[in-house]
Amino acid sequence: MIYRLWYFIRETVVSLWRNLSLTLAAILTVGISLSLVGTSILVREGADRATAQFQEGVEFIVFMNADHTPDQDVAIRQVLDTSPAISEYAYIDKMAAYEEFQVLFVDKPELIESVSPDVMPPSYRIVPADPDAANVAELARQFSTQPGVREVATATDAIRQIEDFSTRVSQVLLVAAVVLVVVSAMLILNTVFTAIGARREEIEVMKLVGATNWFVRIPFMLEGMIHGLIGAGLAIPSLFIVEDQVLSFFQESDVVPLFRGFAVPDGFVWDTSLWLLLLGGTVGMLGSAIAVTRYLDV
Amino acid sequence: MIRLESVSKVFKGDVTALRDASAEIQRGEFVFLVGPSGSGKSTFIRLLNREEVADSGRIMVAGKDLGSLSSWRVPYLRRNIGCIFQDYKLLSKKTVSENVAFGLEVIGRPRTVIKRQVPAILELVGLSRKADRTPDELSGGEQQRVSIARAFVNRPLILLADEPTGNLDPAASVGIMRLLDRINRSGTTVVMATHERGVVDTMRRRVIELDRGVIVRDESRGVYD
Repeated sequence: MIYRLWYFIRETVVSLWRNLSLTLAAILTVGISLSLVGTSILVREGADRATAQFQEGVEFIVFMNADHTPDQDVAIRQVLDTSPAISEYAYIDKMAAYEEFQVLFVDKPELIESVSPDVMPPSYRIVPADPDAANVAELARQFSTQPGVREVATATDAIRQIEDFSTRVSQVLLVAAVVLVVVSAMLILNTVFTAIGARREEIEVMKLVGATNWFVRIPFMLEGMIHGLIGAGLAIPSLFIVEDQVLSFFQESDVVPLFRGFAVPDGFVWDTSLWLLLLGGTVGMLGSAIAVTRYLDV
Repeated sequence: MIRLESVSKVFKGDVTALRDASAEIQRGEFVFLVGPSGSGKSTFIRLLNREEVADSGRIMVAGKDLGSLSSWRVPYLRRNIGCIFQDYKLLSKKTVSENVAFGLEVIGRPRTVIKRQVPAILELVGLSRKADRTPDELSGGEQQRVSIARAFVNRPLILLADEPTGNLDPAASVGIMRLLDRINRSGTTVVMATHERGVVDTMRRRVIELDRGVIVRDESRGVYD
């Protein structure tokens, strides 16, 4: 068994080496495309965290006092349920508010420790029927006078800009990444195809003496998977560079205070790295599997 | 060991390679397939190790019905069948002993077994002293011996040989035929396609003659024609 494993490793390494220039091209392409996939995920996540409260059409938020009475809640809901100006709304209780707070300030543990669910103000997130700025401002003014209301926050232009910016950036990156992932799969397919061609005689002999089909296939599939995994390995450092340089640049910028929330925790970067490895390995396996089934007549 | 029942094989373009062929070959027999080029000898051989599948009729090899044998079982069938060819099919970058070991490696034999069997088989074919040479440093006859060593190292039940002496001078051919005879006497069934009169006439073994895909003669202790 160990000997067989050694055989597969030896054959794979020899084949990778024999095909060095194509192998490097395939690995680099995988690396670049997965870097883009990862960056797109990070930008998206950073923006989501920065603008967590204002998503899915929520234009303003009514924060209640932490000690408001149930009657006051009933009164607010009455207005929300009947007013034609309100399209929909969601109630965020103290516990949910606290959980969100933990997410928003994940990189500031001392801040999280200083609060408890008790002191978090519950709130209503409101999607107006007409998202026009003047209309939203008028609605916000009306709600701020209701009893039990602490304050009304409206989605500012800054938030909309962040959302817009991050959506566009991550979409462009994602489209480029998808194209490149397809290109890498095709490059891997070609590299494996060349490897199969270089070993045509050996394969003929193997089939002749009764090697199983899987025995013939496995070194080639390993080869493709290694392309994908090494490529993903190259992409991972670039994720940390993006987190360290790009996201933190926004975080420290004083121009737009809202960008300060533009951060992702280290854990998220590691999680993304794992996904990239998985994606790289899968793309590699897929490319080589296609090559093996199409060009390896076993 | 081998049985063909009304086997036919037609290639694209209506080229009939084998028509309604029936034959039975017992364990330990030595059979020559003779006939001119294109008479169906190679197809006969390729059907037996299932490189080709018959269009009709039934083929039994080593107790297996090849028509109903699923493709993943084919490798296991081939482990019971050794094959040698006119062009040897040796790997030019590997040495003699590596070529033989390769045949065992790729069917997952343990290294201890390989280390024991390879020198033994090289001894049998008389190439012990050339174990570390590469094929291009050997004569044609020697290369064919390496190919026989690789085919026989796994002690197959059947040895299929497609024109094994086709590229060899008469002296080397005699050496190869002696080797095949010796292998046959150890109990291995040998089926050999050839169109060399001298080889067939000297050996005086069973002869199956093919003409345009039809078996026209099947006699024990026969001659070429």
